[in-house]
Amino acid sequence: MKLLNKFISGFRRSLFLKVFSLSAVVSLVLITAIGSTLYNRLEDGIYKDKIASSISEGRAAIQFAKYRFTIESLNAKPNFSSLAEEIVKSTNVSAAESGREVVLIQTKGLKLRGVPASLTSNFLQPESVPKTFRKATLKSDELTWERGTLSYVNKLELPGLFVGGVLDIPKLGKYEMYMAYDFVAQERSVNLIGRSLWVTGFLLLILILLTASFVLRISVKPIRIAAEIAESITTGDLKSRMTVRGEDETARLGIAFNQMATTLAEQISRLENLSRIQQRFVSDVSHELRTPLTTIRMAADVISGSRATFEPNVARSAELLQSQIEKFEQLLQDLLEVSRFDAEAATLNFTKLDLNVVVKKCIADLAPVAGERGAEINLLTNSERTLIDGDSRRLERIIRNLLNNAIDHSEGGPIDITLAENESAVSLGVRDYGIGIQKQYWNRVFDRFWRADPSRSRERGGTGLGLSIAQEDAILHGGDIKVWGEIGKGANFVLTVPKTAGTPIGSYPLNPSPDAP
Amino acid sequence: MTSVLVIDDDQDLAEMLGIVLNGVGMEVDLVSRGDEAIEVFKNSQPDLVLLDIMLPGADGIEVCKAIRKQSSRVPIVMLTAKSDTHDIVKGLEAGADDYMVKPFKPSELVARIRTRLRRVGGDIKGNLLIGDLSIDIVEHSVFRNGKEIPLTRLEFDLLVALAKESGRVFTREALLGEVWGYHHSTDTRLVNVHIQRLRSKIEHEPEEPQIILTVRGVGYKAGGSGVKA
Repeated sequence: MKLLNKFISGFRRSLFLKVFSLSAVVSLVLITAIGSTLYNRLEDGIYKDKIASSISEGRAAIQFAKYRFTIESLNAKPNFSSLAEEIVKSTNVSAAESGREVVLIQTKGLKLRGVPASLTSNFLQPESVPKTFRKATLKSDELTWERGTLSYVNKLELPGLFVGGVLDIPKLGKYEMYMAYDFVAQERSVNLIGRSLWVTGFLLLILILLTASFVLRISVKPIRIAAEIAESITTGDLKSRMTVRGEDETARLGIAFNQMATTLAEQISRLENLSRIQQRFVSDVSHELRTPLTTIRMAADVISGSRATFEPNVARSAELLQSQIEKFEQLLQDLLEVSRFDAEAATLNFTKLDLNVVVKKCIADLAPVAGERGAEINLLTNSERTLIDGDSRRLERIIRNLLNNAIDHSEGGPIDITLAENESAVSLGVRDYGIGIQKQYWNRVFDRFWRADPSRSRERGGTGLGLSIAQEDAILHGGDIKVWGEIGKGANFVLTVPKTAGTPIGSYPLNPSPDAP
Repeated sequence: MTSVLVIDDDQDLAEMLGIVLNGVGMEVDLVSRGDEAIEVFKNSQPDLVLLDIMLPGADGIEVCKAIRKQSSRVPIVMLTAKSDTHDIVKGLEAGADDYMVKPFKPSELVARIRTRLRRVGGDIKGNLLIGDLSIDIVEHSVFRNGKEIPLTRLEFDLLVALAKESGRVFTREALLGEVWGYHHSTDTRLVNVHIQRLRSKIEHEPEEPQIILTVRGVGYKAGGSGVKA
């Protein structure tokens, strides 16, 4: 069974094996068909001649015997017995060459006088003559014949033909006479032909398969090499190329393949270059921005520090300067984070942590802000400790972003945070009862700088990147954030992450929709 | 008066740093080139160095190594515009005690400088013994068999923090709070790098530490006796 499976999988994977097996099966069928047809026709021909000659000879012999018995019956004292013996004996002499036997048998129940019940030449057993054939012969006025086996006293058995007739002799009665002809010579020829056909067929098959495998090897080899090289290109070795020899189709395949690989490598390196330049650019820009920003920040701080001595307009300007610098800083930080995600340079710093602690810390940090807007934050959870593998900085940032988003859209309603877990994953839901989101925008909320209503300004500090970063952070953890919302009913964001790093979520402990069970 | 050496190629930032630090009663020297920094450092003998990593002449890492050759004690705080490059680790390994990522709040900077300059273990009188080391809190020095082992201030602080409660296991976060004055940070690179540096100076075999032991999955503790002598 294992071997069969192995063969089937090998068959599936190898063009060589496929075509080879197919040609093997086809040539086997063809050779067998041609061989057996040839064999049958030759056999037929050989036996037909022999049968025809045997019948005509048998007819003559039986006629002649009839004739002699009839003449004998004209004698006053006919000696049928010695005549019968003479007829049989005459055959004995030439039996070796002619392969011909004579059988004289009395029909059962007739009880002829002066002749033996059965008489055969060369120790042939009279029972050799099939009973049904004897019946048919007795019924028929004509000569009959049938193929059968000649059995001798010494257990020799030869295939052959029986030709039979009834000698209706005056003064004696009906005496059955059979001529038996063996097919030894014919059988030998047929066997010889059969053997030759087998050998020829076998040799032909081997020859065909050898040719096929040779041709296949030549034509499959470049395909196999192309496949191997394609695989090595896929795994990152962009320098692999096929060796091209000659000008045939194989060479054309090689040339085309190599051109394709070269184009591919060029495109990849071009894109890599572009992406490297872009990453480099973002990194440089941020670096270049950070130093002046630091100076601006310190200057604003110093200015702000002596705000009390300013005129009201100037004091307010100093305040605005300060808060806008903070916003700018946040934006710069978020942009950098996004560019890190884009460059796939973001890495996780996994530790075992208690999500309850992280959530409580975030709530404590943001409760004052929420309070300013009349939003009350409630934590709903059954467990004291929710241990998971996670990057505490990123998890904190996710929760902070979701909470900030909820506070922004809560319209003064409460915010419910639900923490739930099952054996494989932890979910954290942040639900507000404010503006809500239309279903068609559920997934767009994670788009960078996306706004449900472009005319609506961001009232409080948000950079427009928070949810997008939160989603990326969740994905880095092997989890995700799902969203539900309805206009006027609020929104629910559910973060789900696996408990153990690198394992799948399995089933979700929480569903964002409040209608779900 | 506390003197701070600011090594930064951005003239405006350096000047602003000067204004802010002057405002809190610190004296400031400015250098804008890496290759001139050592000369100025030797002449001014500051209490603390603020060091930018990207500098013309010689970069911050080289300057940091050169300063450490001159003085084993002076605290060095790196200023960097990149938070995720290995520049930070390289800087810490070169001997910097702490780093600040631009843009930072001036109040943060001042707090950080003060943390680096405060004296630890002020409540302990006399010497601390740990393993075969003797720590003189007042003189700020560490001896083995009467021979002084030169440590930076930060390494000294780290050793004292662990040794004064010998046997207690400190998480990396706790050490960040105790020694660096961070209360929310989880940047454990700071702790890891400095523990390595400290071990290379005080352990007989840094690969098999006897004095500062790693508690797997938790943090570090001081082994041996920590009895006051």
